[in-house]
Amino acid sequence: MEGIKTGFKNFDELTNGLDYRKVYALFGDKESGKEQFIYKLVQSALSAKNAIVYVLTSKSYSELITEFNSRGININPYLGADFRILDDFSRTNSPSATDNSYAKILNGPLDLTGLSVSLSSANSDFVKDAKPVINIFDNLSNLLIYNNPVTVYRFLQFVVGKAKLAGITTIFSIDVAMHPPEVIETIKNISDAVIDLKLQEGKRYFKLSGTSKEVLQFKEIE
Amino acid sequence: MIEYKGLDGITDKDFDPYFGIAKLDEQLKGIPSKKVVLISASPSVGNEVFGYQIIHKNITSGVKVLVFLNRTSPQSYLTEMKEYDFPANENLFIIDAYSGITGIKSDETDHIRVIGNPYDKEEVRTKVLKELGNGYGLLVIDSFSLLADFFDFSFATSFMNDIKKEVVSKDSAAVLLFTDWGYEKQNVDKLLSNVNSTIEVKGIEKRVIFGQYFAVLKCDWIEENPAFSSVLFKAMKPGGIKVYFPKILVTGPTDAGKSSFIHSASKNAVSVDKLGGTIALDHGTVDFQGYRADLFGTPGQERFDPLLKMLGGEAIGVFLVVDSTKPEQFPRAVEMLRKTETYGLPVVVIANKSDLDGALKKEEIREKLHLDSAIILIQTVAEDLSKVDPNEPTKLKEAGINEALSALFKQLT
Ligand SMILES: Nc1nc2c(ncn2[C@@H]2O[C@H](COP(=O)(O)OP(=O)(O)OP(=O)(O)O)[C@@H](O)[C@H]2O)c(=O)[nH]1
Ligand SMILES: [Mg+2]
Repeated sequence: MEGIKTGFKNFDELTNGLDYRKVYALFGDKESGKEQFIYKLVQSALSAKNAIVYVLTSKSYSELITEFNSRGININPYLGADFRILDDFSRTNSPSATDNSYAKILNGPLDLTGLSVSLSSANSDFVKDAKPVINIFDNLSNLLIYNNPVTVYRFLQFVVGKAKLAGITTIFSIDVAMHPPEVIETIKNISDAVIDLKLQEGKRYFKLSGTSKEVLQFKEIE
Repeated sequence: MIEYKGLDGITDKDFDPYFGIAKLDEQLKGIPSKKVVLISASPSVGNEVFGYQIIHKNITSGVKVLVFLNRTSPQSYLTEMKEYDFPANENLFIIDAYSGITGIKSDETDHIRVIGNPYDKEEVRTKVLKELGNGYGLLVIDSFSLLADFFDFSFATSFMNDIKKEVVSKDSAAVLLFTDWGYEKQNVDKLLSNVNSTIEVKGIEKRVIFGQYFAVLKCDWIEENPAFSSVLFKAMKPGGIKVYFPKILVTGPTDAGKSSFIHSASKNAVSVDKLGGTIALDHGTVDFQGYRADLFGTPGQERFDPLLKMLGGEAIGVFLVVDSTKPEQFPRAVEMLRKTETYGLPVVVIANKSDLDGALKKEEIREKLHLDSAIILIQTVAEDLSKVDPNEPTKLKEAGINEALSALFKQLT
């Protein structure tokens, strides 16, 4: 099967895109372009008829949609149908926020059970519709800040186990600078492949390891 | 203690804590005081709705409930409860061990006690134990596994012992919600050895989740210790936990009132019919006393007999509907049980149209159908005879419908 195109021309040419069913850790610092990478990937994957469950931990679903729109990505036609948001952020500011047809409001970063239940059920819905599914965690850093790391590892192990069984592709986005090296090391171990992003002198670069077509030296991403 | 009557109706004066969940209350007779129950869920199914429902059942029957929250904020928790149609009332008290973690300020109120530093295990312990002195009928901890995650199992185990002592001395009871993330078995076993009852909540899953079930693994206050079977359930939003029967068959001779029965028992029934006669099937979903069931109705006309076997497949119980004025159709009724291959399943016979002149008496029907004395027969009648339309299913009186549902559901759990 063809990989999942990210929408970045030379990334896709050099790597064949992301492999289905694999678990990717997306590492980078604040300015490295992780969000830009994910948003473009979302656009490209949705237009190629994939379904996406987007786990959001650091902003509200309405902010996310605004960000898509401000980048010229028209997400609206996909909302609910192929794009579902699990919003683990909104309740922190507005405790009475409630669900709508495309965003499920979760209880917050400590309720990993609630997140795992909602993820299982959103995944089941998409898999039953015979759609290839991608789970995107934007981002893990917030879960790691609030919880004991061991608790998060256990959670990730569970989520990854389920995803593998169901043939789902997973992407974890992590802000590397926020965590001690052993945390980053463990996330690597849970993942199959690692994408590193960095910003240098105004240009963005990537590396990819753990897939059939690796790119082990930083290459410009545009 | 007032006896819980389950499917026979819920007494409006329940003084002791109950689950408020069908089947659990019928089997365990509620949660006696001095007992600690642990509800252990798989992470893909969760048990928070069990918590909401247990709390709601108790606060609405006058039991003072204390809920310890470390998974989310009190406001968020109450929002979620409300979405399940379980609004809080003045009997609900909260210990907030969450807000301190997120740094969002939370004010103490009459009903909310705040743990200033939820990272401090001693503050958690003493606050909870002290608060239990204020006369609660039930303590709910949501979530107990998160306490073990946050601190460690040795704290969780010793805290459990403290809770148990306190619950025993204060004549209270406790429900602990626990997610089993695949912890070390010996840690979990040690924790479980201290609880009086363990209920397991799981999913039937391969690539996707097909269903959810709960099962009582242990319960030390039921003497005869029946073999607890697992039961399927659905968590409805709103509505909460419903014990679920995926397929119940409604069959019987033509024109007996099968479609009428299904339309009267469910809110959303659909029929594939022509001039009132079913030509493919009827379907309706029933909600009754905490149970939910999907009813499938067969046609009665013989020309559709080739469908019967398929329609009966996977059914777990049967309503056999007969027209009380037409004993000549009774052999056909029994034949339909055979043709749907449901003979021998739990069955309730519905003697319909008992309002009409010439309707046979119960005993006559039993005799003519050669019914075993163990089989229950319920009479049903049109709600309003003047509205009976030959081309429409007719509305049957609720009393008979409820009696019939209750009789079959009892046999199925
Ligand atoms: N008087 C009276 N009429 C009834 C009663 N129940 C149903 N009917 C009428 O009996 C007729 C048949 O009812 P249905 O519910 O369609 O019967 P059915 O068993 O589904 O019939 P088929 O699908 O053709 O096998 C309709 O005209 C109803 O209005 C009852 O209790 N009393
Ligand atoms: Mg019919």
